[in-house]
Amino acid sequence: MSAATMGAAEDVRDRALAAIDAARTLDQLDEAKAAALGKKGELTRIQRELGALDPAQRRELGAAVNTAREAVLAADAARRALLQAEHDRVTLAAEALDVTLPARTPKHGSLHPVHETMELMVDALVGLGFTVMTGPEVESDWFNFQALNIPADHPARAMTDTIYVRGLDGGASGDLLLRTHTSPVQARAMLRQPPPLYIAVPGRVYRQDTPDATHLPAFHQIEGLAVDANLSMADLRGTLAEFTRALLGPDTKIRLRPSYFPFTEPSCEVDAWHEGRWMELLGAGMVHPNVLNHVGYDPEQVQGFAFGIGVERMAMLRHGIADLRLFIENDLRFLSAF
Amino acid sequence: MRVPLSWLHEHVDPGLTPEALAEVLTFGGFEVEGIHRPTAGTRGVTVAQVVSVEPIAGSDKLHLVHAFDGEQTWEIVCGASNFASGDKVAAALPGATLPGGHRIERKRLFGHVSNGMLASARELGIADDHKGIWVLDADAPVGADLSEWLGLDDAVLELAITPDRGYGLSILGLARDVAALTGAALHVPQPPPGPASTDSGVPVIIEDPSRCARFAALRVEHVVVGASPAWLQRRLAAAGMRPISNVVDATNHAMLETGHPAHAYDLPALGGPRIEVRAPRAGETLRTLDDLDRPLDPGDLIIADADGPIGLAGVMGGERTEVGPATSTVLLEVASFDAATVLRTARRHRLFTEASTRFEKTVPPETVPAAAARCAALIASLSGGQVVAASDHYPKPKPRESITLRPERAASLLGLDLDAGQQAALLTAIECEVADADGALSVTPPPYRPDLRIEADLCEEVARLHGYDKIPERVPSAGVSGSRSPEHAARLAVRRALAGGGWSEVLAFPFIADEDLAALGLASDDPRRQTVALVNPLSKEEAVLRTTLIPGLLRILRHNANRQTADAAVFEVGRAFLPPTEDEPGADGGPGGATLPAEPTLLAFAACGDFRPARHDEPARAVDLYDVIGAVDLARRTVGLDPLEVRTADAPPYHPGRAAMLRIHGRDLGVVGELHPRVLEALELPPRAVAGEIRLDLLVEGGIVPAHGTAPSPLPGLRFDVAVVVDQHVPAADVAAAVQAAAGPRLTSCRLFDVYTGPSIGEGRKSLAYSLRLDDPQRQLTDDDEREAIERIEAAVTAQLSGALRR
Repeated sequence: MSAATMGAAEDVRDRALAAIDAARTLDQLDEAKAAALGKKGELTRIQRELGALDPAQRRELGAAVNTAREAVLAADAARRALLQAEHDRVTLAAEALDVTLPARTPKHGSLHPVHETMELMVDALVGLGFTVMTGPEVESDWFNFQALNIPADHPARAMTDTIYVRGLDGGASGDLLLRTHTSPVQARAMLRQPPPLYIAVPGRVYRQDTPDATHLPAFHQIEGLAVDANLSMADLRGTLAEFTRALLGPDTKIRLRPSYFPFTEPSCEVDAWHEGRWMELLGAGMVHPNVLNHVGYDPEQVQGFAFGIGVERMAMLRHGIADLRLFIENDLRFLSAF
Repeated sequence: MRVPLSWLHEHVDPGLTPEALAEVLTFGGFEVEGIHRPTAGTRGVTVAQVVSVEPIAGSDKLHLVHAFDGEQTWEIVCGASNFASGDKVAAALPGATLPGGHRIERKRLFGHVSNGMLASARELGIADDHKGIWVLDADAPVGADLSEWLGLDDAVLELAITPDRGYGLSILGLARDVAALTGAALHVPQPPPGPASTDSGVPVIIEDPSRCARFAALRVEHVVVGASPAWLQRRLAAAGMRPISNVVDATNHAMLETGHPAHAYDLPALGGPRIEVRAPRAGETLRTLDDLDRPLDPGDLIIADADGPIGLAGVMGGERTEVGPATSTVLLEVASFDAATVLRTARRHRLFTEASTRFEKTVPPETVPAAAARCAALIASLSGGQVVAASDHYPKPKPRESITLRPERAASLLGLDLDAGQQAALLTAIECEVADADGALSVTPPPYRPDLRIEADLCEEVARLHGYDKIPERVPSAGVSGSRSPEHAARLAVRRALAGGGWSEVLAFPFIADEDLAALGLASDDPRRQTVALVNPLSKEEAVLRTTLIPGLLRILRHNANRQTADAAVFEVGRAFLPPTEDEPGADGGPGGATLPAEPTLLAFAACGDFRPARHDEPARAVDLYDVIGAVDLARRTVGLDPLEVRTADAPPYHPGRAAMLRIHGRDLGVVGELHPRVLEALELPPRAVAGEIRLDLLVEGGIVPAHGTAPSPLPGLRFDVAVVVDQHVPAADVAAAVQAAAGPRLTSCRLFDVYTGPSIGEGRKSLAYSLRLDDPQRQLTDDDEREAIERIEAAVTAQLSGALRR
């Protein structure tokens, strides 16, 4: 065993470290590493020759070869990290995209703001324990007026301009109409099921009005009706206060003013304080005993409240719209915002 | 109702600003629509007396007026000539201002200096009259400030009166409420002592006391008809009525004050003389004060004399007996007509007057004599006449019935903690008579409140007088959670899915014309041509209710295309209206037995142009029929139903080769397709536009069906492709069905990825290539499984479709 042989491992190590250090690319680094540690590498060759040595020399030289290998591996790993980082820096930079190009969003449609506002209002009422019901848009005079304590020649009939529908099968005209409010569903619901009853009725209603900024011949309402053993105006007020807060924000205040509707007694108009002023929001009241009688409820046993609110008005508030006609013009440049 | 506050203050003055009083009335149930000051702003206008009037040389209109203001005489140039020396006029001298802040200056006109101007009633904001200057009453105090003398700074509240509160159409009725709501003292003028005689010389015959409960006829003699004094003209103008003459103005003043309409007849013009209150006879007509000859309806109620009709009761008087400048004897009518009769008559004649507005809200009979006496006295005092007789016809007096009010019931209904004593005190304040009755209250409302009829009415009064703002807030519990109905929830989910899928929701009116349906090429026996018609449509083009949403959607497409939105994809969810059938009945019409139309809820689509717009990295793609089928499938998938069955359809308004009937669970949903080129042409729509309509109600009737969850196989599946060659007329759906059935129960995915036609597979044939995946959670699938599946598929397409596998 010669010192020269001992020194050969160190020489290989030193040359390999120098070559690793000199490598400028990952390929050069691979070459430098292979020159020492590859199948035909110098250190590999020395190791192969160890078998021919006696045990003491083998142990000594083996240790020297291992030390040299570890040094080369460590140098290679360090250099490799450096060169890999440099390589990534250059190649990934070349792959850069303009991230500000238009994104590939799925084609988007839109929901009509009136319908969406109506769903929002329904959500608030469902949260308050109301169940959704609907009814026909072509109504009979009985449901639209008489059941609601509005007999023929009642002055309240002059409050709305009704669109009448020609009788079917040559039947009498004047008996069919486009419902002027969602209130007929009150009577339909009470005829169908016994109290207690908590229903919300979203739907379309009609008036003989030419479209302008504040009138449409067809628009939407939500009716609320609650009938139970002991409901009072305090329950009406609390329900409407919660409802209004759900729609217009937690700080919204409401006020009740006496008013008149044939199907409620007492009746009230409800205003909400919104953006610095009182704004007329809806009409409400305690269900008139005549209405309860008409549907076979006993006014001595149950009390209830009802309210009706316009959807378009709320949609105008929510979306800052000043002209109702935008809702029915169906210009996609307008609708696409929703 | 326009309420001059100076007038109201004569009866009650709570010492509030107009704004504060408006608040009181608002919470009293009178909506304040405005606070006006129509004559405010007049400053420095002086009552002056004309000393001389001379024409100005060189002008055919202008006069030089000398007018004395109590201190000096002013030279004023004036264009009017309706006055003479000695008249009192309103002189706006230099420095004065008129309403609106218009400032008067000294001017030179035709060589004369005009020291301001003489004002017309219109310039002062008092009336519309601008025919000449305003000539004041002879007793106007020369030198007085006009504003102070006439109270021109007066505010006028404009109130909306609900149908139940007829008393709100009178100053005294409002004064009663203001007194009750504020505690201020109420001053009700005592009716003047009546004449000794009850014989007006005119018999009154009431045909039907249910339509005319009471009729007072008063005779006023020695009347001199002329202009009303300035205060009355101003007051009527402020209340929104046109001054006419002292006699007519007196009736209007009485009506505004008491709420009782009154009418004055020129007594010598009365045939008979006598008065009949009756239904018109066949062929009778009446020329009303507005100069219209009106044929009368048997349902009308009229006032007639011996010669025929002289007035529409409670609505308007007739021209033949109108009070004119020569009238010297007046017969005054103050009556109580039936509300419904007057309302019907006013509607029939489209004649809504101050009188009919009051009668339709019920004018009580009890207070007729007092109102009549007050009106007659005013006529007499304004016209120099004398009330010589007052007759009162009240065939069936009905005492007011008392109403039982249970205080605990009122408290429970209102949510207010008010005891019997407090409730009684509130009701007493509006002049109810309240007595104890077995623990309840027996309440007799005052005559001026005919609207108070049942216990609930009294409850509202208690709440109103106590203050609605004192009602507490309490949230009731239904005891169950609220919910949307399953259909409603499914409909909502479908709408949101479609919006997410690129479709924009629109909302069309349901009014169309029959011609719109003909334009779609629908045959006359098509169920969609059986429309339900409107009696009073908004226009000819909106005469019937839609049976399909397509016309509305196509109109919206065209509207947008005309506004340069060439790419549009819209949908609508809405009702159609069809005559009911046994299968498709309408809703219950109620006790009258009315037949209602069926109202199926439909979902319709329409689109044109590009469905996907061009991008910098992708070309545009035009919309086609598959986008519409895809939209329906998206809706189907949203509610969790099985896949659609798609079949070729040939139905208007679609292209016969490019339309599909969509079915689900064996039921027809509807047809979608490319619109027929002739329909597109007729409706001026872009080429290749598509549409479709389905029965959404059938799709959502079961709500959203929860999907069944299946654990995916933990073992690797088999993936392979097959290409099936068939005759080109074989529908792809049939090929897919055959492939899927043959692939067996292990099939978890089957996707068509290529359709090929070309010489290599033969003329008239097409190749459909599918990518399949088989999974078996029990065992690893092998090449043998794949080979067997392909053999089964080959056997199936050969046997069922005369096809072959392309190897």
